[in-house]
Amino acid sequence: MTDTAREEILGRINQALGRRGGGEYVSSVSGTVPAGAPAAGPPAAGAPAEAPHAQPGAPAAGGGTVDQSADYLRTGTHEGEDLIEVLIDRLEDYKANVHRVSGDPAETIAGLLESGSKIVVPRGLDDSWLNAFTGDVSVDAPGQELSVPELDTQAAVVTASAVAIAQTGTIVLDGSPECGRRAITLVPDHHVCVVRVEDVVDIVPEGIARLTPSAALTFISGPSATSDIELKRVEGVHGPRTLDVIILGSAP
Amino acid sequence: MTFLGMPLLPSTRRDRPTIPGGQGNIVEDESFAEVSHQHLSNQQLRNNIGHATSTIREKRADVVAELDDWEELREAGSRAKNHVMENLPEYLAEFEANFTAAGGVIHWARDADEANAIVTELAEANAPVLDSGRREVIKVKSMATQEIGLNEHLETQGIDAFETDLAELIVQLGDDKPSHILVPAIHRNRDEIRDIFEEKMPDAGDLTNDPTELAEAARRHLRHKFLTTKVAVSGANFGIADTGSLGVVESEGNGRMCLTLPETLITVMGIEKLLPSFDDLEVFLQLLPRSSTGERMNPYTSFWTGSTPGDGPQNVHLVLLDNGRTRALADEHGRTALNCIRCSACMNVCPVYERTGGHAYGSTYPGPIGAILSPLMTGVEAEENGSLPYASSLCGACYDVCPVKIDIPSILVHLRNEDAEANHSPVSSQLDTALTGASWMMSEGKRMATAESGLPIAHAVTGGEQINSLPGIAGAWTSSRDIPALPEKSFRQLWAEDEARAEEEDDES
Repeated sequence: MTDTAREEILGRINQALGRRGGGEYVSSVSGTVPAGAPAAGPPAAGAPAEAPHAQPGAPAAGGGTVDQSADYLRTGTHEGEDLIEVLIDRLEDYKANVHRVSGDPAETIAGLLESGSKIVVPRGLDDSWLNAFTGDVSVDAPGQELSVPELDTQAAVVTASAVAIAQTGTIVLDGSPECGRRAITLVPDHHVCVVRVEDVVDIVPEGIARLTPSAALTFISGPSATSDIELKRVEGVHGPRTLDVIILGSAP
Repeated sequence: MTFLGMPLLPSTRRDRPTIPGGQGNIVEDESFAEVSHQHLSNQQLRNNIGHATSTIREKRADVVAELDDWEELREAGSRAKNHVMENLPEYLAEFEANFTAAGGVIHWARDADEANAIVTELAEANAPVLDSGRREVIKVKSMATQEIGLNEHLETQGIDAFETDLAELIVQLGDDKPSHILVPAIHRNRDEIRDIFEEKMPDAGDLTNDPTELAEAARRHLRHKFLTTKVAVSGANFGIADTGSLGVVESEGNGRMCLTLPETLITVMGIEKLLPSFDDLEVFLQLLPRSSTGERMNPYTSFWTGSTPGDGPQNVHLVLLDNGRTRALADEHGRTALNCIRCSACMNVCPVYERTGGHAYGSTYPGPIGAILSPLMTGVEAEENGSLPYASSLCGACYDVCPVKIDIPSILVHLRNEDAEANHSPVSSQLDTALTGASWMMSEGKRMATAESGLPIAHAVTGGEQINSLPGIAGAWTSSRDIPALPEKSFRQLWAEDEARAEEEDDES
């Protein structure tokens, strides 16, 4: 059933685009464009003539003219301590609690966790970060994953992070050994997340450029929140209700 | 450029290939004019919606003003989507290959019925029958599944679909329909929500109307479902062709719960949701949250590529949905409506939406984008969808805020033309006669003067009162407007009198 649907839908698209027999793309504006690899097609007739999608650094699939004029910002202007200040401002605006630590974060982390409580950490987390914590630490590792009900009994989770974007107050977890699989930062109600200053970038394009697309990625901007009742923002619905961010290291 | 006024665009209807339209919750069963009248008198609804749209409008304006390159981002977003539409077969094939290579399974659905059948089959294969004799799935808020009426279909198949987004939960528990694509329960206030929760949530107990307490009640209500349900259904905000990744943008964490904890994940996504490459997210993750909720970034965004070993659902499916999208694509003047990233900014600035609310549009897609997207997907011939392109003042505010620069006003005018040709041809003889007469009269100054000389008589006849209704075709105009009282004299008469008086004064001096 679905094979037929696939062919039929692709056939409809070719028909809609004015391609004949699915082989070539006949444009009303610029004539025939070879099909196969994505071609840089013209915009719909009647619309202003715009250049095809431009993607500096990643040429438009299948070639075609790439317009690199009139483009958006790809690098930010903040650096050093200014950059960290922007990140802190945005994180706090989204109700995350921010802590600056230049050396060993162990005391700070222990101070944020209730002593004696149960916490979960990913297998790659730096052991020394938990030196001052006195509770019960479960390590979530391949083959020894905590079940969902077990995760539900954990008071908190401590992880590192892959990238932080200052302009939007966003922290990205990428499933690496020190960030862990997605469920561990979701089910416990309290997330303590360590951001290294060298992983802080200014704007979104700089953040995207640092990520591995095939990883399971989670972008976090503040704790769980909803504005569904009269648009009044309420922190904490289904995700962790408390987000503590430790910014580790000194700005260069 | 926006063309306003009378339709000017050449019609392509007769040459249009015959591509089937979509079905499901994108068809009005009453005309917009009729159904909007019922909502206009609901003062509570107007207050709720007016408050909500003005609040989001201001937040959006603030965060957009923070970016120096907003216009360049809009341009880049528009360019990327136009490029995808022009090369859709190739990008779909590329996406399919990459998603499949990463362990996912792709299904193609021509229409709502086919998509519903595919999801049903997958749910039956993967969700166990519970003691109640029924199966359960949890759901992330999704426009595509609203569009195809998935929940209602599943219910008839013995499968209960639980909405997990707070607003969708309010709508579902209230046996209601969403009225806004971002905040579906925008028409409800906190008292109404408390009443719904107390009535429909077992164990909710007595609640106050405090939003924090209501959100907490929703958390308790859904927690067990999240932790135990085997199958989740989601939509997707983005499909990335060069990596085969899918992405969901949300706030509450209910999305992450559904995308992460169940064993099986079934995503339903329109074929138009593709972006060429992962790098395009640098544009769209700036455009979407700022345009939508007026935030710099939404609290949670998730991306997954097929299945990830040891992390999240291992049984991952995607239903690629047409349901009228190819029909919209075939309309060269209207196809940019498919560029829509469902941010809802157009709704929040629309003077018509603000007064009627979303239900009047009779479609999953209300507001300005719905007024073009729904008829494009079904054809203006479908039921009452030909009335939707008239649900606008053509003020153009929707075009100004659209993050991917969809020229909604021009498409509205184009669709009015389509509707006129499809449903009202030949043009009403009454209107024809009236316009021909007006044209004859206005084309010659003397004729106009003669016509105006009748004003004093008309003034006398109407008794100097405003006119509330006119007969014949003019009645359509006066059904929702009043004509001010007619003046005693025409401008020409006043001018002539004034000239005469001035001359007299000159003579005297």
